[in-house]
Formats: sequence, structure tokens, C-alpha cells
Amino acid sequence: MRLVVAGWAAWAPDLETPEAWRAWAERPTPLAEEGTPNARFLPPMLRRRCTPLSKMMLRVAFDCATEDLRADVRTVFSSRHGSINESLDLLRCVVDDAPLSPARFSHTVHNAQAGLFSIAAGNRCASASIADRDGTMAAGFLEAMGHLEREPETPVLLVAGDAPLDPTFAPLVPGPQVPHALALRLTTGGEGTEISFALGEARDRGALPWPDAVEWLRFFLSPDASVSIPGARCGYTWRKETSTP
Amino acid sequence: MSDDCRLEAVGMVNALGAGLGEIWPRVMAGDVTGLRPPEPDAPPRGDYAGPLPAVPEALARYACRNNAMALAALSQIETPVRDALAATSPQRVAVVVGTSTSGVSDAELAIGEHQRSQRLAPAFDYAQLEFGGLAAFLAEVIGTGGPAYTISTACSSGARALASARSLLRLGLCDAVLAGACDTSCGLTSRGFAALHAVSAGRTNPMSANRDGLTLGEGAALFLVTRASGGIQFAGVGESSEAHHMSAPDPEGRGAAAAMQMALHDADAEASDVAYLNLHGTGTPLNDAMESVAVRDVLGPDAPCSSTKALTGHTLGAAGAMEAGICWQVLAEGESTLPLPPHCYDGEPDPALPKLHLVAQGETAEPAGRRLVMSNSFGFGGNNCVLVLEDAR
Repeated sequence: MRLVVAGWAAWAPDLETPEAWRAWAERPTPLAEEGTPNARFLPPMLRRRCTPLSKMMLRVAFDCATEDLRADVRTVFSSRHGSINESLDLLRCVVDDAPLSPARFSHTVHNAQAGLFSIAAGNRCASASIADRDGTMAAGFLEAMGHLEREPETPVLLVAGDAPLDPTFAPLVPGPQVPHALALRLTTGGEGTEISFALGEARDRGALPWPDAVEWLRFFLSPDASVSIPGARCGYTWRKETSTP
Repeated sequence: MSDDCRLEAVGMVNALGAGLGEIWPRVMAGDVTGLRPPEPDAPPRGDYAGPLPAVPEALARYACRNNAMALAALSQIETPVRDALAATSPQRVAVVVGTSTSGVSDAELAIGEHQRSQRLAPAFDYAQLEFGGLAAFLAEVIGTGGPAYTISTACSSGARALASARSLLRLGLCDAVLAGACDTSCGLTSRGFAALHAVSAGRTNPMSANRDGLTLGEGAALFLVTRASGGIQFAGVGESSEAHHMSAPDPEGRGAAAAMQMALHDADAEASDVAYLNLHGTGTPLNDAMESVAVRDVLGPDAPCSSTKALTGHTLGAAGAMEAGICWQVLAEGESTLPLPPHCYDGEPDPALPKLHLVAQGETAEPAGRRLVMSNSFGFGGNNCVLVLEDAR
């Protein structure tokens, strides 16, 4: 199956435009640890319920899926931590025997961002929300390829991202904890950059200085021909094949 | 590459027992006694009361009730899983599983400790709570080197995991997949669904005029999925989103009907080919109303259907895999005649809903042509996934 990156959008604090990301990719530096995008593109009712992760993921999803596509694109939302911070608030209520807010409970499911996107964009297409301990980007690609395998004719929007963990859990998780989100529009043909994706042996090359989704974007914007991102049990390699304007 | 996708073996744990050998007779007997109040004055819940295996010492960081439950289901299919691993390389075996709770019940204890002492309980590890932990744990247990990730789309998680398994096989990225789901009871879901006024005061009463909510349950169902022909095949999947509301479905059932249509199309089947439908059938007023409309619109009023949530409780993220497992057993048990799980409720259909053919105890189906069954799963956040299984023996 051909795999084409037909478009992308990314967000991190101070990195809000494609130009800013291209400049960053030329001289990558560690990302800022705090910040949240505005969500003015969402109706106030939905915006009010948005967590920082929801704002980031919906922002890049809306930037990457053009208006004519938004209601008709299948989606994958990939996040290691998802709504864990908000779940932690609810768990404290459970422990303290305090009442739970039903609205907050329904917004802490791992597919909250997918649900909000579906409502905000009027999108009735297939959607998956996934998590992987070490390979959020790779697992997202696998799931997006699964969508394309089932129906190759229409595009898939892959959205990967995470918010920094609450201090209760942050010390338990090594690696950079920075707010970030990346969206890719993936197709099986047409304009864009054709890439290949292969599984391989796990090779430990030390912790990345930024999250794997950001490392993937650095590769994509760089002249590099390929990138390998190690997971716990297997490694993942992406290679640029051809590019059409 | 072959498009075949065989569901080779199923391991299952729920309120009715451990293993289909224990569970199946109670399903067919319409035994609702697995749903009991976990404490006085609480609504009934479908908890598994039996023993669970210990998580191996080397994987102690994953030791929580949710992973122990998954391990119990895995142990039932250990031989076919080992055989599948031996037939290929560990890199060619993937794990795709669903959960909506992960190890929340253990995390609640750890956070209680943190509230008191500002320290997390020493036995707690983040790997128990994060969703990806379930897939990582199972991959470690069976010793695979292929992709391992978790799907969490609320109550459709387990069904979607099976669909993803088929895609990974069809993409040629692996030769076997351990796929399914596991969810365990916890304070968060019990209180959360209570806060939504979604929990029935007594045992759930799906499709009844008197229904007043769901009964929660817990459990695991894990499948070994391969590219082999024959056996029980994963024949089709349909998926849709609701674009409606985070915790309520579209009352007209459009998303549900679209997913059912798509699953039939994917299985290259007609509505009349479906010998049995396992309903999502949560027993909430909204779900059962919209699902009745969708079933009437897609399958018509004569398709035999039942909700087995009256027997197992609503196992949330595990439900899609659990009920696919029950559908698998309908086909595996049957020859020319298929035994159908009864629809257990108070026997008072809701006159406001389209009439459905709810399966009576002892009822069977005798398909003239293909032997197909369907399972509906509709998740919170508006995520729908419908599966079609086929007997190809």
C-alpha cells in the first residue's frame, strides 16, 4: 500500500506556524514546557469543556483538515497519557468520597478528543483513539494504515500529542514532558510526500530530547532520508520515497 | 496476501466465570445471578468473584487487578498462542487490546495513600494506570517483539481492537495478533456512571418498558487472530462516529445504523444473512431506543437478537470483545442449528420502540445459507463499531 503525507500541522508553545516549525527543524532545541493554544475556532460550549490536550489536538486537526474535508475524514487520535490529568482529579474525588461531575467524567475518556472533534466538525466517520507506552507516533501510523487498508480511497487524519503529566505522576515517567500536538493528512495516492514505514529490531539509542511525534516532524522537515524511532520491543523506520508538489 | 482472518481461540473471564466452559452454560440458561450488589445498598454489578493468577515477579510493575484479569483470559488460550509464536518470529506477532479502565482500581488505592502521606503506594507503577500498559504487559508475558498498543474508544474498544488486528494482518505487518480487551470494576466508573444517572437500581432490564439503566460488569476476552482460512472468520466491520453528544447517542440511531450497514457491506452480506445479533443493549433509555430504530432499519423486525449484558453486566471497554466472544461461541457450538443466547428482561417490551425479535430461552436459528452473526458496540464519545463473524468450517 502506498502511504502519502498530503499535509501536516503542528503546535507547541511558540511554534504555532509551519514557518516556525521549519526554522525549528533546521536548528532543533528542546521545546518549552508550558503553554496552551487558543481554541477560538471552537464554539464556546465546546471550548469550555476542552482540556489543554483537547485544545492542542483539535487545533492541529482543524489546521490540517481543510474545511471541505473536516466532516469527511477518518481519524486516529494517539496519545500516551490522554486525559490522565483530568482523571486524576476525579480519582481524588473518589478517594475523598466527593461527588463526581458527570460532564467532567464524560470528558476524561481516552477518546474525548475524538468525540469533541466529531461534534465540532460534524464528522460521522470511523475514528480510533489509541495509546502506546513508547511509540505513540508509530502506533498512530499503524492504526491510520489500518483505516487506509479498510478503505483506501478517502484520507485519514492522524493526530498525535500529549500534555505534561501532573506532578503526582511526572517523576514516574522518564523522557521530555512538553505540550505538543501533530496532525498528518495521510492518503494512498495523490499529491504529497510518499513515505514507507517498516518495523524492525528495537535498538536503544538513548532518550529523545523531544517527544517522538516531534522527532518525526523534525525528520519530515529535514533533508534526512529516513528516521528510526525505537520502541520498547520493536523499532520503527520511516523513509521518504518521493515527493510531488 | 490472503484476506482471511480467523478467530482461532477465545479466552474469557466475566461475572459468569472463567473460560467459555463455565460461562457458556450460564449464558444459555439465562443466569442473571452473576449481577449482585458488591456491597449492601449498592446497585448490582457483574464482578468476577473467582481467583486470578499472580502477575509474574519479573513483571511486578504491571501487577494490578486489570492485568491479572487479562492474564486469566490469556492463560486459557496459552497453547494456541505459543504455537502461533513458534510458527513465526516474535517480531511478527502483534498485540492490540482495548481497555477503558486499565488499572484504575489499584490507582485509587495508590492515590488514597498519596492524599494521606503525599507518597504513592510503593506497589504502584504508572504502567498499571496508563492505557498502553495493558498491551505492553501482554506483549511481555507472551514475549513478542511486534507492535503492541491499546485502543481506548470507551465501550467500543474491544470491537475496534479486533478490527485493527485484521488490518495489521492484511497489511502483512504480522502473522498473528493477540487481540481483545479487559476492563475491571473501579470506583471511578461506578461513581461516574451513577453521576450520569445511567445505572439501574436493580439488575439491568434491556429493551423493557421499565428499563432504568445499565448494570456495570468487568471481565476480559482475548482472541488469537491469524490469516488462516476456515474456522470462525472475522467477516466484516462497520465504524462510525455520532457527531452528536459526548454521553448520549443520536436518538434516530443514524450512526448505529450506518455502522451496521457498513459491516454488512464489508462482509459482502445481506441483512437476511444475519442469523443472530448481539445487541449493545445497555438497558439505558436512550441506547435501547436508538438501537431499536437502527436494528429495525437495517435488519428488520425479524432478526433474532439479545443483549447479554443482562447476564455479564456492561463490561465497558471489554464489552465489544466479550460479546464477539459470545458470538464466536454461538457459531462454534452450532452445526446446522445455532443455539442463541436468550434475551433476559422482565418480558415487557417498550411499546414506544420498534418491535424487535428478542430471543426466547431455548430458541435456535437454522440459517439456510451463510452462517453469520453480528455484534453491536456503541461507545461513549459517539464511537460505534459493529462486527460480523462467520462460520467457515
